[in-house]
Amino acid sequence: MGARASKRGRRRGGLAAGQRRFVLGVSIPTIIYSGGLSLLSIVWAFALMFFEYSPGRSGGPILGLGGNNPFVGLAHFRNMIEGVTLESRLFRTSLGNTLIFAFAVLPLNLLITLPLAALIESVDERFKSMFRAIYFLPVVTTSVGVALMWGHLYHPQQGLLNAAIRGLGGSPVYWLNDPRLKFLGVSVAMWSVIVAYLWQDYGYNMVIFVAALQGIPQDLKEAATIDGANAWQVFSRVTVPLLRPTLLFVCVMTMLSSFQVFDVVQVMTNDGNPANQTRVLVLDIYLNAFRYQRMGWAAAAAFVLLLAVVIVTVVQMRVLRTEWEY
Amino acid sequence: MATTIRASSVRPAFGVRGIRRHMGQILLHMLLVAGCLATLLPFLWMFLGSFKSSSEIIRIPPSFFPENPTLVNYQTIFNDPLVSIGRYYLNSIIVAVSVVVLTLFTSSLAGFIFAKYRFFGQNVVFSFILATMMIPFQVLMIPSYLILAKLGLIDSLWGLIVPAAVDAFGIFMMKQFIEGIPTELMDAGRIDGATEWGIYFRVILPQLGPALATLGILTFMFRWNNYLWPLVVITSNERRTLPIMLTWYSGMQYQSYDLTMAASVLVVVPVLIVYAAFQRWIVQGFALSGFK
Repeated sequence: MGARASKRGRRRGGLAAGQRRFVLGVSIPTIIYSGGLSLLSIVWAFALMFFEYSPGRSGGPILGLGGNNPFVGLAHFRNMIEGVTLESRLFRTSLGNTLIFAFAVLPLNLLITLPLAALIESVDERFKSMFRAIYFLPVVTTSVGVALMWGHLYHPQQGLLNAAIRGLGGSPVYWLNDPRLKFLGVSVAMWSVIVAYLWQDYGYNMVIFVAALQGIPQDLKEAATIDGANAWQVFSRVTVPLLRPTLLFVCVMTMLSSFQVFDVVQVMTNDGNPANQTRVLVLDIYLNAFRYQRMGWAAAAAFVLLLAVVIVTVVQMRVLRTEWEY
Repeated sequence: MATTIRASSVRPAFGVRGIRRHMGQILLHMLLVAGCLATLLPFLWMFLGSFKSSSEIIRIPPSFFPENPTLVNYQTIFNDPLVSIGRYYLNSIIVAVSVVVLTLFTSSLAGFIFAKYRFFGQNVVFSFILATMMIPFQVLMIPSYLILAKLGLIDSLWGLIVPAAVDAFGIFMMKQFIEGIPTELMDAGRIDGATEWGIYFRVILPQLGPALATLGILTFMFRWNNYLWPLVVITSNERRTLPIMLTWYSGMQYQSYDLTMAASVLVVVPVLIVYAAFQRWIVQGFALSGFK
């Protein structure tokens, strides 16, 4: 803080001596702590992906890189794209599964939450918060609990779903265990996980939509009604366009979360069974880093995750760009 | 908005059109109630399953309501020497509460100086903090683990608390909120001779009530339910948090769903009770965090 800064500060009533001490006293530890920790983590994560790294081995002097943890340059990435090793095939499977998962979840989620929010918005005040509270319940439930609940629901012999099917005269379906079952080209096990994930997650978007719908002025809707629009036209021509910023936000957040899914999948399918059909990217990263101790490879996979997330977010922001305010 | 005449107020209550409107409302409510039942069904299934004996739960076709409801599953869990339920609750509480206290303190303080003071490099640092918020945790978890290993914090509750003590989202949220507090209040405090710390404690903090409550509840819920990071950090039995314990226990009792459901109830229900008590705050907090 030079003399010029403090003179400027004092003119605007900013940084006198005591204030400067306070600010420094707070900001420096905060910056060191979060900045240092985060910066170090980012740099280390970025460096790891160019090495073959295992935490047990003794490496070189800087962050344990080098030495027994050799520098391999872009070998990991080359392996990901064209390699035939087991881990590269597993990686490509994981990436594909994650993309399927994310692109299935988004439209299904919107299909459930948007109409539901509209329905809830149009009921009496007394019931609105009660419905909202119940629909939001799965969101605050521990993912492990969700996975176990649904795992039992899907159970071939003990589960409720198959009991209902048996009651209707059908034969039980192996929702989570049969690698041969496919629906619309995607494995049934994946669909089962998607359903459980949707169940846990939809309350979040629904609550956001309800809040957004409440912010739409009645006057605009009434003006449209007076001009002869029916309920559907009011919804699609007035409400939905005004929801665009919220829609963008919800789409981005939903995609982000579904790319990062881990808990429900790991517990429900026992690490990606059957036959790795539910192995998602974060699961792949976790197993490689902490079970097989191949942290360089895992860091490279994590970088791909970061890239995917950034690309998807940027694309969404361009497509759903808000052009006007009301 | 309150003074405009709502079109709905001139809708008929009786007659053909009125009945149609009531039918519409009834249908609406029925749909929503059906949705509620669908949402609650898995909870009910889990809850009922925990009261079924091991012979009943494997019966084909399975019963929905337990025919001879029994507490034997809960007794088994409480009497299991390997499973000290109280310990796991304690661990989860320690971690969640510590992180909440630390985060509220650091976030409000940091949000305060970013909102109300000007200093060199302020924008750069704040942008950096925002940027760290955008990076998915899974990218940072490997180096975070290695850093913890160097510090010797693996397999300790500190390993769960320390990295979470400063929360970029919390700083961001507090900064937004504090910017809305009039600076005149601070100047008044300074005229009255308060130190900057005094201003923080006596002027700013009292104004932050709702924001602190919201951030606190969000953080608490997140830390309580957190799974991936404790899974990575904790390896020994005594230091497990509740979600980790549940996975481990259900793996131990593989295919014994009576016990698994009982354990799940023990882990899930306390959160539901907290939720029922603070529901207004929680839902609002999630919605707000979504907006900002």
